[in-house]
Amino acid sequence: MNGGSLQHFFAMGGYAGYLWPAYAVFFIVLLADFFAPLLRRRRLLRELRARLGRKAARQSRQAPTPTEPA
Amino acid sequence: MSRPGLTTACAAMLRRDLTLAWRRRGDIAMPVLYALIVTMLFPFALGPEDTLLERIAGGVVLVTILLAMLLALDTMFSSDIEDGSLEQLVLAPQPLALMLAMKILAHWLTTALPLIVISPLLAGMLHLPTSVMPVLMLALLLSTPMLSLLGAILVALTAGTRRSGMLLALMLLPLCVPVVIFAAGAVAASQQGLPWLAPIAWLGAALVLLLVLAPLACAAALRIALDA
Amino acid sequence: MSKWIPLWLHKLSSPPTFYRFAGALRPWLLALALLTGAIALYGGLVLAPADYQQGDAYRIIFIHVPSAWMSLFIYGVMGFAAFLALVWRIKLAEVVAMTSAPIGAAFTFITLVTGSLWGKPMWGTWWTWDARLTSELVLLFLYLGVIGLYHAFEDRRQGARAAAFLALIGIINVPIVHFSVNWWNTLHQGSTIRLLGPSTIAPGMLWPLLTMMLATKFYYLASLFGRVRTDLLDLESGKDWVRTIATGSTLQ
Repeated sequence: MNGGSLQHFFAMGGYAGYLWPAYAVFFIVLLADFFAPLLRRRRLLRELRARLGRKAARQSRQAPTPTEPA
Repeated sequence: MSRPGLTTACAAMLRRDLTLAWRRRGDIAMPVLYALIVTMLFPFALGPEDTLLERIAGGVVLVTILLAMLLALDTMFSSDIEDGSLEQLVLAPQPLALMLAMKILAHWLTTALPLIVISPLLAGMLHLPTSVMPVLMLALLLSTPMLSLLGAILVALTAGTRRSGMLLALMLLPLCVPVVIFAAGAVAASQQGLPWLAPIAWLGAALVLLLVLAPLACAAALRIALDA
Repeated sequence: MSKWIPLWLHKLSSPPTFYRFAGALRPWLLALALLTGAIALYGGLVLAPADYQQGDAYRIIFIHVPSAWMSLFIYGVMGFAAFLALVWRIKLAEVVAMTSAPIGAAFTFITLVTGSLWGKPMWGTWWTWDARLTSELVLLFLYLGVIGLYHAFEDRRQGARAAAFLALIGIINVPIVHFSVNWWNTLHQGSTIRLLGPSTIAPGMLWPLLTMMLATKFYYLASLFGRVRTDLLDLESGKDWVRTIATGSTLQ
């Protein structure tokens, strides 16, 4: 594909101003939709790990002779 | 153990709610005042041109009354939730749907009926022709109970949450689109001298359907929202 | 939950099993979605000929129509899951219904925006109160209502059941709105614009469209599984299986 036809492709017969924003909205919204839960999942797991860590620390403080955590 | 009959229970429920509403008469006046103020604002915003006001009068009155009802919807069960009497009602031996229907009726009598009574005044302020008034009243008489019934389901659904008027509006507006369309359609048709019976008949049919189904749905919604 | 549901389905509806199942399937679904999506885009944007009436603007159809179709399809899935959640109180059904709502809302939003971007050059207006457009807008409000009600509750499961009930009411509402707006348009004639897609569509245009519909389906499943996994972790954060995942984080 040479430069001229690529330019022709992106011009979309003069409708580039409508067509490409439509495709941009499609991809941006779906990307946001896809990555939002993944980010939330990472945060959840981090919080959960922190909570478990705190709990373990508290338990080891209460029992001065450290035994195998149940 | 003898239980009071259904009629007695219904009458007691209705009397209780009406008495409670009467003790707070100021609350009844609020939606009416709100509707008056909103209607008054339209000529100021659009200019006092008679023909323009006449054209939009029916729609403005309908939407204003819808919004005024939406404003009062929040209070439908709120005091009963606060003092726990709604939970008592859920546990009562009488059918919950019937008792809720009585509550909805009481709410309609105290909020929608005053609005219908002043609707000729509102419409008159916007120069709606007198010949259209009966159709407007009829459309309101059929559509406001539907808004109360639909609203009751949604209020019941939000019973377990912190009160949020905006959420209620978001949930109610999609449901009342058809009601507004047919009610305003009847008024517009009558104003243009066209037959207006068809949309009124549709409203009536929908109202009958809702009268049967909405209290049942409301009871189901309340059970979902209250029992954890 | 009873004998009507086969045993494997019953097993699958247990949160840890579904978590693993969804985790294993999700990359494949995503890959399928990307592959079919890329093929559809190449077919739609490069291979398909320009429309003799609309020129190249019609190419918005390849994302607009699949999105519109998905917005309804996802509402159907949500309604079905909501029904299961209300009748049998299946936790997974609640989660599926509630995680479908944001994806459906996203597709509805895309449908409205792309439709408006298509409408401007074709009919000279961003928006018209046509029955299909209005129904789509009402659908967006229904989705937002479901999402809003779900988040208004402190207790997530209670919120899910209340929102599921609202979703079922909405299913009845959408056809009524469509019918009433149609009736309304016949009342107010003169302001309407004929909105008709090409009824006979060239095969060179049809196959990218169908492929894109397939791609959005795969995408929906992939996104749904991702969301369900996250929500399951959140809902079951006190359970042992979540604890093992949190501590041995390299596993999944």
